[in-house]
Parts: sequence; structure tokens; C-alpha cells
Amino acid sequence: MKIDPDKCIACLECLEYCPMNCILEGEESTRIDQDECVECGVCLKSGVCPEDAFFLPEEATQYPRVIRREFSDPSVQYPTLKQGGRGTEEMKTNDVTGRYRRGEYGMALEFGRPGTGTRISEIEKVLKVLLSMDVEVEKNNPVFLLLEDEKSGTMKPEVLNEKVLSAILEFKIKEGQLEDVVNTLKPVLAEVDTVVSWGLATRFAEDGTLPVRSRLSEIGLPARPNAKINMGMGRPIIEE
Amino acid sequence: MSHSLHRYGKQEDLHNDYTFYARTSRWVNREGAGPKLRKILEIILSEKPVNFGSSHAGKSFKAGLDPDEYAGTLDKAYGVASCFSDRESIKRVLTKLKAADTGISIVTGGLIDEIVEIARQVGLKPHTAFLSLGIHGKRALLPDDQVLEVTTMCGHGMVASNLTEAVVKQIEAGKMTPEEGAHLLAQPCPCGIFNTDRCEEILKRD
Repeated sequence: MKIDPDKCIACLECLEYCPMNCILEGEESTRIDQDECVECGVCLKSGVCPEDAFFLPEEATQYPRVIRREFSDPSVQYPTLKQGGRGTEEMKTNDVTGRYRRGEYGMALEFGRPGTGTRISEIEKVLKVLLSMDVEVEKNNPVFLLLEDEKSGTMKPEVLNEKVLSAILEFKIKEGQLEDVVNTLKPVLAEVDTVVSWGLATRFAEDGTLPVRSRLSEIGLPARPNAKINMGMGRPIIEE
Repeated sequence: MSHSLHRYGKQEDLHNDYTFYARTSRWVNREGAGPKLRKILEIILSEKPVNFGSSHAGKSFKAGLDPDEYAGTLDKAYGVASCFSDRESIKRVLTKLKAADTGISIVTGGLIDEIVEIARQVGLKPHTAFLSLGIHGKRALLPDDQVLEVTTMCGHGMVASNLTEAVVKQIEAGKMTPEEGAHLLAQPCPCGIFNTDRCEEILKRD
């Protein structure tokens, strides 16, 4: 996003609306730090500017900068995947897709969430580790569009410094890999220059319990008390 | 994305915060799902949700989304998102949906044990859970807990920490009520899962 200096009256009403805190105060008008802006569009859509000074510049729609908008503005679809959002259907439709079966867990690492944003380079650091492990990385995810080399996890050089509000790495592991995967990832995540919200998808056991909760507590990564739950109302349902 | 996961807060403060998502699958049942999604919306509206909306509609109920206008967009939608503040409402929604048998996947967010108990009472068999394993990495970048409780109610990250802090200051200065503050903070979140009732309670705390 940019601010038209001829329209801006420096009222400063907009400063607080930016999730990246990158609207800067100037002497005669405000401006947006283009390196930090993730093109989420909150400033423009908020309607807070009395002079309609915010606008989407042409360069924000051009590659590679367009990545920022695609990963940050939930109203924008990825042209190639024809889907919106930063990830996939994950477990929301698992009752009809059977994506996560008994005996395996889905994992999602959302970089930049909550509220800090992330450079693509931070995702690359963790993706390289993931691809060196025996896990099944989800390729129908927009992050994969940024890869130069699918085997090593090397991203296209021109996207590494692009900043997005958040992006998700999704992968599946076998139940027996849980401890190894957690122990490998924890120190890697501790070193990234952003925050990462970590999620785990699991089938309910036949008796309606979630045995993974006690396993997670035992390995020092307890699940929070709140979660989202697929209620099993999709049809035709996949039970196994 | 997992936009209704990772809502921050202590267990005792997460009661009465239920997210709801009806989601079609691109691979299974999205084609022609509009009438089913409208039926689901009708059921949601019958139980007075706190909020509803979706990114495809571009705004939430709290930002002025008209229910009829919203219903008209559902032929091209992935699903319907909403949130509720009381257990009996979400329970009645699930009961009505069970009877309607739309075949669309339904996801409910909240305290795990409460949701599982509600499912048992309604006669549903929960299929899959998405658990939150917390925030990792450079936590020094995070704002304080009160702010996080507010901002994480928008999973797309549209609600700014600075805006939340500014609202808190306005309330402390007596220039804004918690209700007004919650309404203002709900504006940037288009998905309709920003729970203004819970936000108001958070803003009332000392």
C-alpha cells in the first residue's frame, strides 16, 4: 500500500490500524515503510482515512511483491491454486476427504502468527529441515509455489526477503514419529526471527478420546485447552 | 487456513467463546452447495450469533454485512463462518444441523472438553481435532497477554496490536466504552469469528 502525499493531511488517524505498525509519521504527510508492508489492505479497507489517500500501487500486483498480498489479504486468491487463505482445507473437511487417517498426525506451522509477519527466508530455514526428515510435506499449499528446488527446500531467491502476514507449512507424520519430530523442530523454531503458531490434527479414537493429548504433555509440548473440532457431519463420511 | 485455531487466553476465560465453520470441500461437495450453505446460515441466524461473515463477502456482520446480501454470495463461497457466546446456542445450532443433514463439514471451536460434551449430548461423533501447540520462536516480538487475547480472535491477523492498545487507552481515559471498543476492533476481521462479547469482557478487565 501507499499513501498519496498530495491527499494526506497528516491527521495520523490511520497509524494504529496497521497490523505491521509500518505507517510512519512524516512532517507533512504519513508514509508506509515499503519493506515492512505486507499488503494486507487493512489500512485501505478500514475507511479510516478522511481523504482516501491509501491506494494499491501497481508494483504491489507484480511478482515478486504480489506474494505479500496473496499471503496477507484474505480476500485475494492464489491464481494458480484457485483458492484463498494461507493454507489448505486441512482438517476442516477431513470427514469427507480422509486427508488425516488414524495412525497419522497432520501438523501445521504458521509463521508470523500472531501478528508479527514473517520473511519467506524464515520459512525456508524450517522447510529445509522438514524435507530432510521422513515426513510428508503438503504440496498443495501456496508456500510450495515459492520453491526453486522441491527436494532441498530452497526458495526462489527473489522471494526470500518478501514479507507476509503469515504463511503455513503443512505436513503429515506417522504417530510413532511424534517425539522425534517435536524434538527436532523445537530447537529449529527457537532460532527463527519470527513467531510460529504450531498446530496438530488428529483423528478422535473410537472411544471419543484424543490420546495424543497425554503424549504431548509427556514430551513437554502440551496442547492448549481450546481447539477446533470437525464434528463428523460431512457426507459421505470417511471413517477409517 | 486455521483461522479459528490459536485463540489465546486462559482456560477460565475461554468459556463462552465458540467458533463455527461450515466448510465445503473443493474435492468433494463444493459444486452446487449454495442452497445447503443458505440453509446452514438460516439455522445460524435462528440462534442469534454474535457475529458471522467470511473473507469472500469482504466484511462481517459487525462491519455491516447484511444477512440477505450474505446469503446471496453463498453460491460462490467455501463456507459460512460464525461465532457464539453461549453454550446452549451452539448446542441448538448443532442439533438443528443434525436434523437438516446437509452433508457439509461442520467445525466447532472452543474448549475441547466442552465441545466433546456438547457433541455427546447432541448425539454427534467428533471426527478430527486440530490442537494448538502454542506459540514458538521469537516470543519477545509479541504484545502483552490482554492484547493477544483480542488480536488472536481474528486468525488472519487483521486486528492490529496497536489498535487494541489504543482502544484500551481510550477506555481507561473514559472516552470509549468497552462495547464501543469491541465493535471498533471487530471491523477489520471479515470472517465473522471475532467475538465482540468476549472482547468486551477482556476490555473490562483492569
